[in-house]
Amino acid sequence: MSETPAGVIHDLGYRRYDGPRLGRAQIVRALTWHSFRSSFGIGRGVKAKIVPVLACVAMCLPAFVNAFGVARGSPRLFGYDVYVPQLRVVVLTIFVAAQAPELVSRDLRSHVLPLYFSRPMRRGDYPLAKYVALTAACLLLIEVPLLILYVGTIASAKNGHGVWAETRALIPGLGVGLMWAVLMAAVGLVLASLTGRRAYATGIVAISCFLTWTVSELLIQAEGGITSASAGARIGGLFSPFNILDGVRIWLGGTSPGEDANPGHFGPLYGVVAVLLLAACLGGLAARYRKLSMS
Amino acid sequence: MVDTMPPSQYWPGGTTPPDLSAALPGGTTPPDPPAALPGGTTPPDPPAQAVIQTRALTKVYPGNVTALDGLTVGVAPGVTGLIGANGAGKSTLIKILLGLLPPTKGQATVLGRDCQTSGETIRTLLGYMPEHDCLPPDVTATEFVTHLGRMSGLPPTVAKERAAESLRHVGLHEERYRLIGTYSTGMKQRVKLAQALAGDPRLLLLDEPTNGLDPAGRTAMLELIGRIGAEFGISIMVASHLLGEIERICDHLVAIDAGRLLRADSITSFTAVSEVLAVEVEEGLAQLQQELKARGLTATVAQRALLVPLGGDDTYDVVRDAVADLALPLCRLEQRRHQVEELFRGDEGAAHV
Ligand SMILES: Nc1ncnc2c1ncn2[C@@H]1O[C@H](COP(=O)(O)OP(=O)(O)OP(=O)(O)O)[C@@H](O)[C@H]1O
Ligand SMILES: [Mg+2]
Repeated sequence: MSETPAGVIHDLGYRRYDGPRLGRAQIVRALTWHSFRSSFGIGRGVKAKIVPVLACVAMCLPAFVNAFGVARGSPRLFGYDVYVPQLRVVVLTIFVAAQAPELVSRDLRSHVLPLYFSRPMRRGDYPLAKYVALTAACLLLIEVPLLILYVGTIASAKNGHGVWAETRALIPGLGVGLMWAVLMAAVGLVLASLTGRRAYATGIVAISCFLTWTVSELLIQAEGGITSASAGARIGGLFSPFNILDGVRIWLGGTSPGEDANPGHFGPLYGVVAVLLLAACLGGLAARYRKLSMS
Repeated sequence: MVDTMPPSQYWPGGTTPPDLSAALPGGTTPPDPPAALPGGTTPPDPPAQAVIQTRALTKVYPGNVTALDGLTVGVAPGVTGLIGANGAGKSTLIKILLGLLPPTKGQATVLGRDCQTSGETIRTLLGYMPEHDCLPPDVTATEFVTHLGRMSGLPPTVAKERAAESLRHVGLHEERYRLIGTYSTGMKQRVKLAQALAGDPRLLLLDEPTNGLDPAGRTAMLELIGRIGAEFGISIMVASHLLGEIERICDHLVAIDAGRLLRADSITSFTAVSEVLAVEVEEGLAQLQQELKARGLTATVAQRALLVPLGGDDTYDVVRDAVADLALPLCRLEQRRHQVEELFRGDEGAAHV
């Protein structure tokens, strides 16, 4: 801007900026991208990368192994819509419990929010950016193994018909993954935003997910398991977000038999509860940040 | 980023002042801040070009806490001190100006825009430094200020450049790659200032910038703020509860107490009033007060002394004569400054400027 010779060490004075400025939408996009990167520890220290990397490895490993197996003639073991159910529950719980606090609790802890709120964004933009970022991160974590499995399987498909069959199986699987990401990111963020203490936030998210899952499983077992026709066993899944998701999957025509929940004719109820839970989490998140912006 | 205006005598370092209006979104012209520059004559009173204007602004928090009570005040371009004791409503006013808190009643405008309806636009023009800690310990100052520059709407490379420059302006050039957690309190305050400066604001709202600093740190911080106001051409409102501290760098002062305006005036008239003559006598204080009143001087009692506003040169003589005529034992006669408290309490009459 000024034609000062290089190397002169003195204060050049203040420079105004009269170039282009990003609008609100672009600012929110920048925050989303920043948050998405940090949900994988990118741009943060080595320690911040441990959980995301382990989670990715754990999720992808079965897909890799199975994809290799398929290449040698064995069948595809995992359905795209369930993948490895227990593993998915555990890994996703750990990932969300570790990374939702990374996205929100850190900023709460250091009281940096007033600096965001004093910038052009609106109240809801900050939680929106965080939510989109974590949803995208979860989506990546869930869908990448499915894609690995898919690519590995079609690579050894004998004809176009086989490829088409695989693709038809994959698409609902991707849809289920989207449902998981959308709901689990909301649950994780609203719980993590309750406290600025990261350890507590992680604890709250992890315990809530595992505890509700355990309670739900126990209820179903007590009522005779998923094969039981009793109403208790059918609605027992409603007590855990993971089982709600699985119930919705089965209701929507999921191919594989349910591992955890079996909604039977309570399917629509699972759908309604899933939507209500999502709405409650997002509403809670918005309300939380609305309050924070006014304090 | 090419400037077309001729160099101005006020612009330091020979760089040219850019066209201010071009930087604003929507192409509207902001009120010029020329009076912010040193050497310019101080405008008489906050006129149409006020950077901040409030009308009967009232804020009642839940629980019936009245933080602002019908505050009407205009703030001219330049450096303005917002003085008030703890709980006077300074931070509340600043948050309303940022468009973050809705006022219960009344109206506030910043740079000609309504705070409630145009908060977003206003915030692109403002830089804000909160009173409390607001820095994450585990990032470097450069990363942090760059990120917040992005959040102010700067493109990526510009945000980087301006972060480096802002940190240089506040004197953290050498240390900018260190983690903020390793900074001293004084350095942290500077980072807070740098992030406010990064987005090239028209107006800075600084909430107690000397919070937690030692005397040397306070002086340095105030000099920095004074320089930003005088040389960078940015209007500043700086909140503080210490009048004596910020009066050095201010062109104007706004004093509030319990959410009400006490005085709003240029610094010269403020300090003129604050010059007083303190008279201490061993006895007959009330008697002397009567006598001075008879001679046309209104003296107020402060502990064991009488405070007489210092008018012209003859104030000394009148007081000396009065003491002599009453034959009172004079202990002390000295010129001193009003304490902030006295300014707040004693001059109710002068409050509505
Ligand atoms: N969120 C809130 N809810 C209820 N009352 C509040 C809230 N924030 C501030 N107050 C009250 O409003 C009044 C003004 O507070 P404010 O923070 O604006 O004062 P201040 O001048 O900034 O004080 P300080 O010098 O201590 O920072 C105080 O009585 C305070 O207790
Ligand atoms: Mg305050």
